This record gives sequence, structure tokens and C-alpha cells, in this order.
Amino acid sequence: MMIDILVFFIGASLLLYVLLGGSDYGAGILELLPAGKLREQQKLVINDAMGPVWEANHMWLILIVVILFMGFPTIFTTLMISLHIPMLALLVGIVVRGTAFTFRHYDAVQEPKSQRVYTVLFSVSSLWTAVWLGIIVASLNRGIIDPRAKDVWTAYFAPWWGLYPLAVGGFVACIFGFLACIYLVDETTDTALAKRFMRHAAVFNGLVIAAGGLVFAASLGERESLPVTFFKNPLTLGVMGVATLLFVALWFFIKRHHVWLTRVIAAGQVSLILLGWWLLYAPNALITAKGPLGFYAMAAPPATLRQLVLALVVGSFFIFPSLIFLLRVFKLKRSK
Amino acid sequence: MDDLIAARATMAFSLGFHIIFAAIGMTMPFFMSAAHWLYLKRGDEVYLELTKMWVKGVAILFAVGAVSGTVLSFELGLLWPGFMQHAGPIIGMPFSWEGTAFFIEAVAIGLFLYGRKKMNPWVHWWTGVAVGISGFVSGIFVVAANSWMNTPAGFDWVNGVAQNIDPVAAMFNRAWLHETIHMQLAALQAVGFAVGGIHALLYLRGRAPRLNLKAMKIALTFGAAAAILQPFAGHFAGQRVAELQPAKLAAMEGHFETGRRAPLYIGGIPDVETRTMKWGIPLPGMLSFIAHNDINAEVTGLDKFPREDWPPVVIVHVAFQIMVAIGSVMAAVGGLFFWFWRKRDFPRWFLWVLAASMPLGMIAIEAGWVVTEVGRQPWIVYGIMRTKEAVTPVPGMVYHFYLFVGLYLSLAAATVWLMGRQIMMVQTRLSGGAK
Ligand code: HDD
Ligand code: HEM
Ligand code: HEM
Repeated sequence: MMIDILVFFIGASLLLYVLLGGSDYGAGILELLPAGKLREQQKLVINDAMGPVWEANHMWLILIVVILFMGFPTIFTTLMISLHIPMLALLVGIVVRGTAFTFRHYDAVQEPKSQRVYTVLFSVSSLWTAVWLGIIVASLNRGIIDPRAKDVWTAYFAPWWGLYPLAVGGFVACIFGFLACIYLVDETTDTALAKRFMRHAAVFNGLVIAAGGLVFAASLGERESLPVTFFKNPLTLGVMGVATLLFVALWFFIKRHHVWLTRVIAAGQVSLILLGWWLLYAPNALITAKGPLGFYAMAAPPATLRQLVLALVVGSFFIFPSLIFLLRVFKLKRSK
Repeated sequence: MDDLIAARATMAFSLGFHIIFAAIGMTMPFFMSAAHWLYLKRGDEVYLELTKMWVKGVAILFAVGAVSGTVLSFELGLLWPGFMQHAGPIIGMPFSWEGTAFFIEAVAIGLFLYGRKKMNPWVHWWTGVAVGISGFVSGIFVVAANSWMNTPAGFDWVNGVAQNIDPVAAMFNRAWLHETIHMQLAALQAVGFAVGGIHALLYLRGRAPRLNLKAMKIALTFGAAAAILQPFAGHFAGQRVAELQPAKLAAMEGHFETGRRAPLYIGGIPDVETRTMKWGIPLPGMLSFIAHNDINAEVTGLDKFPREDWPPVVIVHVAFQIMVAIGSVMAAVGGLFFWFWRKRDFPRWFLWVLAASMPLGMIAIEAGWVVTEVGRQPWIVYGIMRTKEAVTPVPGMVYHFYLFVGLYLSLAAATVWLMGRQIMMVQTRLSGGAK
């Protein structure tokens, strides 16, 4: 029961991180695309849209880390040992993009030279971090993680090395970019820019599909390829199918400029993809070379879990109302 | 550098970096709320200018605090998996509450920084207070987690496994109270003096005198009050350490031989080879008095501990001396501040003293943490687990160390540069406007 609640919180935090934090990454990735004369304006829109919320969006990641190290210490330490290198890469990215974004926004002297440096740092590190996030996620279930391995390659490189994790990284980056475009459309009153965001949404949409295909192809070289895994899991197959079908609905509403429906559908699509992935592996957190590490088998003692659940439930009563208030103040007012 | 040393150095460096921004994040919201309150009450535009100016700086410093804190929550596992494996379930509780507090803080800071024009002024004011309170509370939670490493509680250690875990008892261990009181005062004091000192300097330079004087008074009201209370809190901490971690106290004081009427040394360098104190001025009986309120009390020396259980004596002693010296100076300066304020006149020499005191609090914070954390060595969990048992098996930790040193030094340089720009820019504008 306690563990169910905790697993739910991990899943929910992951989802919210992807949906909210992910679009912040996406905004940075978006700025890598050519924008011509609209670049400056696009930057201002992104500053305004992300400024008030990025720290809050980022907290979902911290929440996952805390739940893991308190409630599932073995899973946490295994991850931190075997995936030490990608975690480091991720951290560097997090540090650079968070500060570069804030510097860009708050530098008292807004001059083109330093602004350009911040923008390059912010957008490159957004892409970098998103890719590493995907690599880490892909490494969880490959069955290669082996913290007891003697040689350095097997222990610290093999778990995340390869085409498949990289493809997942690219896939994640494209999804983030896609989300950002869809969200940003409504953050500007300028029609030219809004059109541009729509067009870029289409670009990222195509990229998502291409990257998805790449993930499937790359998975053929894995111990168990995705097609095989999928056919063992009709539920996932169904969920992914619905996610794909939603593209049709999405384009229908985009064409009609239904801003809120587009947002909801895009978020729904991404949620379904995550759900499908979750259904494949839960309640196993990791699949190591020695077999799966499950949330239920690896949980901390009950006294700890009770306290953790208490903190999360009580915390939710504070977090959700304040978060909703934040979004109301900054997001809802604009769309009338 | 071997892997253990590199891991320790990385941890020390990351924490030492984070704590500066954390202290600012915990206290600046209070200063800003005070200024903003004065604006809302008195309607004097200069307070609004001040809040706006502080907000710009704090937004940057806050972001650096947030990202470096994120790094820490990962590093606990990246560097010390052996520790987190056992300690996570025991001391995760304060971290999980801290998570909630940070969340509220992150939301409130968004509202406070960006929402002035979108909200009722008093609701907006309250979001500022909420940032302060949640930051302050989260600081208390993390320090409580640290205090558990010094005085582990809330579990039974059976054959290298923690049993009968009680996270509540672990959080409220015997060191939590003195550590949290002392740290929270330290944050107020360090940031109050740093900010007050900057404004004193700008005032002396003749820039926007009205604004800078008001800013200085707000910051130093907090800072000086904390500085005056701090020696009492520090003394309380010292007595608790004497009781709970006698080896740490002995290292702090360079006290090698157990004995009655133990002397307190002013200055001096302990010589570990000969087990004597060099060049220190002894005050006979004072250590016994400070540690146990009795000049004849026995104070445990390092001789009661096997050599391999000694913390690095020289580092701990010197750091402790630095902290106490700074604490005494700052308490005196804090007292003078209130004295001159009552007389309604700050002489120029005193403003120069304030300007010179700018970095002192931060130095004392770093020194204090060195006392606490290096003084805990060779244990990661005092008396239970050694630091070397906890370190990650991942090789090549030096590169991890260099990576973060490089990253953080660049970040520090960028931050300092930006703050300089910020101050110059705002101050020039204000001076021009003949405020
Ligand atoms: C502005 C900063 C500052 C100042 C002026 C002082 N301290 Fe301090 N001290 C700290 C900032 C600090 C700290 C960084 O916040 C520490 C580290 C851990 C902690 O709880 O507080 C600390 C730790 C610390 C400890 C170790 C506690 C432990 O390991 O459990 C002792 C015994 C003292 N201090 C004693 C003093 C005394 C006698 C002072 C005399 C004025 C003093 N401190 C001034
Ligand atoms: C931010 C204020 C803090 C500072 C400046 C600080 C400073 C230090 C220093 C200097 C070391 C290295 C000691 C040595 O190896 O000789 C260290 C180690 C460590 N600290 Fe802290 N500390 C702080 C707070 C905390 C907190 C809140 C925790 C959390 C529980 C913590 C956990 C650790 C751990 C796990 C180590 C590594 C193990 C060890 O060296 O014993 N520290 N810290
Ligand atoms: C091992 C030790 C520590 C860990 C794991 C840690 C973790 C974190 C994290 C994840 C954040 C980011 C929160 C956000 O996104 O807003 C943060 C910020 C903060 N930390 Fe730490 N922290 C540690 C040590 C400390 C200490 C010792 C203090 C204070 C005494 C402290 C006080 C703060 C405060 C007040 C903030 C928010 C303000 C700011 O961002 O500037 N932390 N910390």
C-alpha cells in the first residue's frame, strides 16, 4: 500500500517533469533552429514564459531523487554507481542551462554580445541535457547494469553505451521541442511568431516520428528488441497505438487554431507514450545483468515509508494549490 | 589524489559553494520583504527601488543556489553510495520535508519575482515572506540531516545493517538543535553583513546616499542582531560538542592530554608529532570552563582516542580559531551598529569598518562547516561508518573533482561579474536621478 503510493508519486513526478520541465528544455532546443528576424522576439517570449515557472518545474526531478534515496536506496545507489558518467553529464547540463537562462534574463546590461553567449549556452545545454536524460532512461532496462562488474568498461560504460540509448535521447529531445512549440503558441500575441511556433511544432512532430522509428531500429541490436517486447505487452501496444492516432486529431485542431485542445492533446500524447513505457517495466525500476530490481522488493523499512508517504501527502496539500495559483497568475490570464 | 580524497574534496567543494547561495536564498527574501513592507506602509518610492534592485540580484543568486543544490542531491549518491544505502531510509525524512519546502519556495519565488503587477500588493508581499519562510525551514531540515551524521540516532546497528529505523528520532537527534540555531543565525549574519557592507561602501562613494543608507540599515538590522546572538549560540554548540563528540572538541582546541583545568589557547598551531601546542597563548582552566562550566572539570583529550580515529587536528583547530575570531569581531561591530543608529549618526570610519566586514560572515560559515565536517572525520556517520567505507567504487574521481571545480569557478566568476554589472548599472541610474 505504502509502496503503491510511492510508485504512484514517482510516476506522477516523472510525468509532470516531462510535461512541464520538458517544455522548458524544448524552448532551449527550439532556439537552436534558425529564426531569422523573429529571433529576438522569440527569446523574449521564452523568457517570459519560462521565467516564473522553471524552478518549480525543475523540482519534480528533485522529488524523484529524494523519493528514491529515502524509499528505495538500493535502486538509487545502483543507478548512481552504474550510471555515474551520464548522471554527471546530466548535472553539468542542468547547471549550465539553469544559470545561462537566468543570466540572460536578468543581466542588467542587455547587450547583444553577452546575450548571444547566454543563448548559445542555454540552447546547447538544453539539447545536451535532454539527450542525456533519454540515455539514462533507456539504460534502466537494458539488462546490462552490473555494479559488481570488475572491469571498468562493463561496470561504468557498457550500461549506457550504444545506439539505442542515443536514439532514445534524440527521441526525448524531439518530444521536448514539440511540447515547447505547442505551449508557446499561446504565449505570444504576435501572429507571425505564433505561426512560426506552429510551423516548428510540425517540424518537431516529424522529428518525433522519425526518432521513434530510429529507436525501434536501434533496439534491434538490444538483448530484447522493442518489437518483441511490445508484442509481449498488448496493453502497451494499445496505448502507443492511441498515442499515434492522436496525431490526426492534433493536426485537425492545430489547423483550426484550437489552442487549448492542441495543448491537451499534445500533453495527452506524451503522457500515453510515458504510460506505455511504464507499463512495459513497472513495477521493476531497473533490469540489471543479474535480473530485475523492483520497487516492491527493494523498498526501505515500513517506518521510513510511512514517513515518506506522510511528507508527500501533506506536502501535496501545499504544493498543488500553490502550483495551481502560480499557473493561474502567469498562464491562464493570457489566454483570456 | 586517490579516489577517497578526491571524493571528499568534491563534496567539500560542492557544499562550500552551495552554502553561500543557500544562505543568500534563505535570508534575502526577508530583507526584500522588509523593504517592500516599508514601501507599502510609507509609500516612499525609494523602498520600491530598493526591492526591485535586490530582486534582480537575488533572481540570479537563487538560480545558482538551485542548480548547485540539485547537484548535491545527486552527489550524495554519486560519491557516497555506501552511506546513502544505509542513511537514506534513516535521514531521508528531513530531505523529503525539505523537498516540500523547496517546492513552495520555488513557486513563491516565481510569484514574487514576476508577479508584482499581476497581484494584489499584499498578496504579493506575502509571497515574498513565503519564500523566506520556506527557504529558512528547508535550511533547518538539511542541517538536521547533517546533524544526524554527527550524532546518529533513530536506529540499531546490527552487524552492519540498520534496524528498527525511526526517522523521527533520527531527525531530532542530539545535535540538531544547536546546529540549526547556529546555522540559521550564521546565514542572517553573513548575508546581513555582506549586503550591508556593499551598501555602506556605495554610500561612502557618494552614490544614491538615501537609498544606500536605508538598504544598509535594513540588512544590518538582521545581520547585527544575529551577530550579537551568535556567540551564545556558538558557546551552546561548543558545549554540546564537548559532550557528544569529544574527539572533535579536542581537535578544535588542540587539546592532546586529558586533564583537569584544561587551558584554552588563543591562536597557535597544534603539532601532532609532539602532541603540543605551538605559539598559542594559554588561558588556564578556561577550556574546562567553556566546555563544562567549571574551571576544574576534566576535558577529554585526543590521547583517549586511537591515532587512526583522530580528525585532521590542524585544519579543525585553525578553522575553529578563524570562526571564533570573526564571531567576536562581528558581535562587536553589530553592537556598535545599534549604538550609532541610536545616536542617529554613522561616522565615516565606522562605515568603512562595515565595508571591510563584508566578507567576514561568509568566511566564518565556511570555517564553521570545516570544523563540523572535517572534525567528524574519519567517520561519515560518527562512530558507525567510516568515510572510506562509504565512498563510491567508481574510479577516476579526480576527474569528477576537476570537472566541478572548473564548472563552479566559471560560474562563480560569471556571477561576480554579473553582480558587479548589476550594481554599477542600478546605482548609476539612481545617482543620475538625484534620489
Ligand atoms: C557567521 C558565521 C559563524 C560565526 C560568526 C560563528 N560560527 Fe560557529 N559555525 C558556523 C558559523 C559561524 C556554521 C557554519 O554555521 C557551523 C557549521 C555547522 C553548524 O551547525 O554551524 C558552525 C559550527 C560550530 C561548531 C561545531 C558544531 C558541531 O560540530 O556540531 C562550534 C562548536 C561553533 N560553531 C562555535 C562557535 C563559537 C564559539 C563562535 C563564537 C563567536 C562561533 N561558532 C561563531
Ligand atoms: C552546506 C554546508 C556544508 C558544508 C560547507 C559542508 C562541508 C563539508 C566538508 C568540508 C566536507 C569534507 C570533510 C572531509 O572529508 O574532510 C564534507 C563532507 C561531507 N558532508 Fe558536509 N557540509 C555541509 C553540509 C552538509 C549536509 C547538509 C549534509 C547532508 C546530510 C552533508 C553531508 C556530507 C557528506 C555525506 C560528506 C562526505 C563524507 C565525509 O567526508 O565525511 N554536509 N562536508
Ligand atoms: C547535502 C546537502 C544539501 C542538499 C542535497 C541540498 C539540496 C538542495 C536543492 C536540490 C536545492 C534546489 C531547490 C530549488 O530548486 O529551488 C537547494 C537549494 C537551497 N538549499 Fe540546499 N542542499 C544541501 C545543503 C544545504 C544547506 C546546508 C543549506 C542551509 C543551511 C541549504 C539551504 C538551501 C536553500 C535555502 C536553498 C534555496 C535557496 C536557493 O536556491 O538559493 N542547503 N538545495
